[in-house]
Amino acid sequence: MAVQSDGVVVRPDADSGKTGSPPPSPPGTGGRPTPVPARRPGAAGALLAGSAPYLLLLPAVVATVALLGWPLVKNGLLSFQNLNPRQLIQHITEWNGVDNYQAVLKSSEFWKVTGRSVVFTAANVALIMVCGALVGLLLNRLGKKMRLTLSLGLVLAWAMPVVAATTVYQWLFDSRFGVVNWMLDALGWHSMKDFNWVGGQLSTFFVITLLIVWQSIPFVAFNLYAALTTIPNELYEAARMDGAGAWRIFGSVTFPVLRPFFLATTFLEVIWVFKAFTQVFAINQGGPERLTETLPVYAFVEGVGNQHFGMGAAISVLTIVFLLVLMSYYFRVILKQEEEL
Amino acid sequence: MQRKRNAAFTVIAAASMVFGLAACGSDGGDGDGKKADAGNSKGKTLTVWFMSGSNPKQWTADIKAAFEKQTGAKLDVKVQQWNGIQQKLTTALSESSPPDVFEIGNTQTPAYAATGGLADLADVKGDLGADQWTKSLNQSAVVDGKQYAAPWYFANRVVVYNKEIWKKAGIKATPKSRSEFLADLQKIKKTGNEPIYLPGQNWYVLDGLLIENGADLVKKDGDKYVSNLSDPKVGKAMEEYKKLQAYSNAPKDKDEATPQQAEVFAKGKTGTMIAMGWEAATAIAANKSIESKIGYFTVPGATSAKPGGVFLGGSNLAVSQNSKNPALAREFLKLAMSDKFEGALAKEAGVIPNKESLNSNLDGNAVAQAATPSVPFGGTTPLIPEWAAVENPPNPIKSYMTAYLSGKSHEAAAKSVEAEINKRLSQKQ
Repeated sequence: MAVQSDGVVVRPDADSGKTGSPPPSPPGTGGRPTPVPARRPGAAGALLAGSAPYLLLLPAVVATVALLGWPLVKNGLLSFQNLNPRQLIQHITEWNGVDNYQAVLKSSEFWKVTGRSVVFTAANVALIMVCGALVGLLLNRLGKKMRLTLSLGLVLAWAMPVVAATTVYQWLFDSRFGVVNWMLDALGWHSMKDFNWVGGQLSTFFVITLLIVWQSIPFVAFNLYAALTTIPNELYEAARMDGAGAWRIFGSVTFPVLRPFFLATTFLEVIWVFKAFTQVFAINQGGPERLTETLPVYAFVEGVGNQHFGMGAAISVLTIVFLLVLMSYYFRVILKQEEEL
Repeated sequence: MQRKRNAAFTVIAAASMVFGLAACGSDGGDGDGKKADAGNSKGKTLTVWFMSGSNPKQWTADIKAAFEKQTGAKLDVKVQQWNGIQQKLTTALSESSPPDVFEIGNTQTPAYAATGGLADLADVKGDLGADQWTKSLNQSAVVDGKQYAAPWYFANRVVVYNKEIWKKAGIKATPKSRSEFLADLQKIKKTGNEPIYLPGQNWYVLDGLLIENGADLVKKDGDKYVSNLSDPKVGKAMEEYKKLQAYSNAPKDKDEATPQQAEVFAKGKTGTMIAMGWEAATAIAANKSIESKIGYFTVPGATSAKPGGVFLGGSNLAVSQNSKNPALAREFLKLAMSDKFEGALAKEAGVIPNKESLNSNLDGNAVAQAATPSVPFGGTTPLIPEWAAVENPPNPIKSYMTAYLSGKSHEAAAKSVEAEINKRLSQKQ
């Protein structure tokens, strides 16, 4: 949330546009920070105090630049090179301008993969938000014991390492020895006995989606539960007194209050699903016939798998660009909020 | 050997994308050190990479002992997994101390020769016994007239059949020509069993037929390669494939790995499959009772005069261009290629050796004995660096096969995928 940090100027009318907020409130309530004591006298101390935030930020910035920034720059440079095994082995640098980008943007395969990634992301995020919100609401309603049990289950799902979870799902959906096929067969659906889940595009995506949604629900559920506890009970009471049912209460009280929460979580999930590599790759390496490759997997298969490193770098740069485009709506909302404040 | 090409996520390879360029400067120290380092090899270590499953235990122990005794240097044998090997090898070859000697799939050899990572073995060719190598086996190791690797061992497809089903159909002897083969399949069909399991996309079986018909999948157009799929010879081979495929209930749009044909064969209701020797082992693992019923024979040719064409899978041994021990590496090659060790490898691993004179080591091995007659008539996929990209899934040749088998004419089916093949052939190297 963007909030002025000096807190000196209080504009009582600033909040009037927000829904659900109480009327203008004095500083110190309504989520506004208390005014920070302004700079106290003391020359050297002031300098130190002034630079302290930057010094504290330094380790994180250095780590981010070294581990993310530098590879990103390198990756950007690679995307303008013709780099294949021959150039790599003989240490030759061949700049080729925007050839890689031209080739990628002209290839119909790339656009197919892009479309697939967008649909895949939309479907997963929708499922995650709906299921996660339902579980979060459930957490809020449950009694102590059941809430603890459910929380424990969610924490375990959340804590499971991605690769381990993927392996478990591979076993669950194994065509001959998987418990899913065994169960479907036992329940009477005999044609599923030896069903090859990773043999077709849709069934492979089904397994991947189930895995990703299962892994993401805890995050959304816990966040929603935490957010729900901040809604004062009086609002619900008032709504109920006015005769609102469960749907109406959710639509008129819970959702409007939690709008910023839903927005932020949805976009975090968009990032998380769009860049999901491990699950998609580990389940079936983007197969069958490269039909479940999403953009990150496509970049990897073209770049590292087929050893066209420059081409792979160009695809990965475009992947980041697309992600930024998908996120632009969120950025706009954030910027707008900042203006409003 | 053709295994499931499967890009694994190797951190090393990913890191090489980022850091590979930083390590500049070449370490090409060949030439001057070749003779010098063999004489004084105490304290040196030669690193050799073998692929998983290639080097049997006894053979490895024996050659290690022999090498260390002969040169005084140490031999460090490292076994690599097929999964992700190309990325790992590329990265290793770009470093200043790559493995000195390494095993490399025969169809991958031309691509690596083109990268400049393999040393020219012209100087030791004679000592390696090159004049006796089976011609078809050495093709992959020679690029532009230069010997970039030594042919090491090979394997090819045989016909695996269920003796019980064949007997029930009243067949007395195994077929020697394709017309006899088709007639036998017809007899099996009458008994109600599936005569052969041959899905529409078993592309290595088609490759065998292409080799037999002298069909080339690529041709030169100026200085680059383009698709030759529409050649009538390819159509002829595909027609032969279709005749065999007509006796199978297998799907026309799947390959032999989905489902594993060995597992279908293991159920005991299929008369025949065209398969690698190890697939018989897969079938036995799935159904122990089939073991006593399995028999093997050589893939029949157009006439009984000679066997059919087969795809020769196999491995070569190569020396790194950047090896720090070029002379020792050549000493190791001489040892491995000697009749003693090449023969011992064939015997212990049941693989086909690089010289016909060593085939006697395979006596008593039913699969290998069915496989060896095909070797002189075998071949590979086009041996050009650009070819590997064509086989990347979805393989356009498999799409061609399905289109043909679903009723399209050869010309129309070829036309539908040639643009894609040409696109892949023109990828930058």
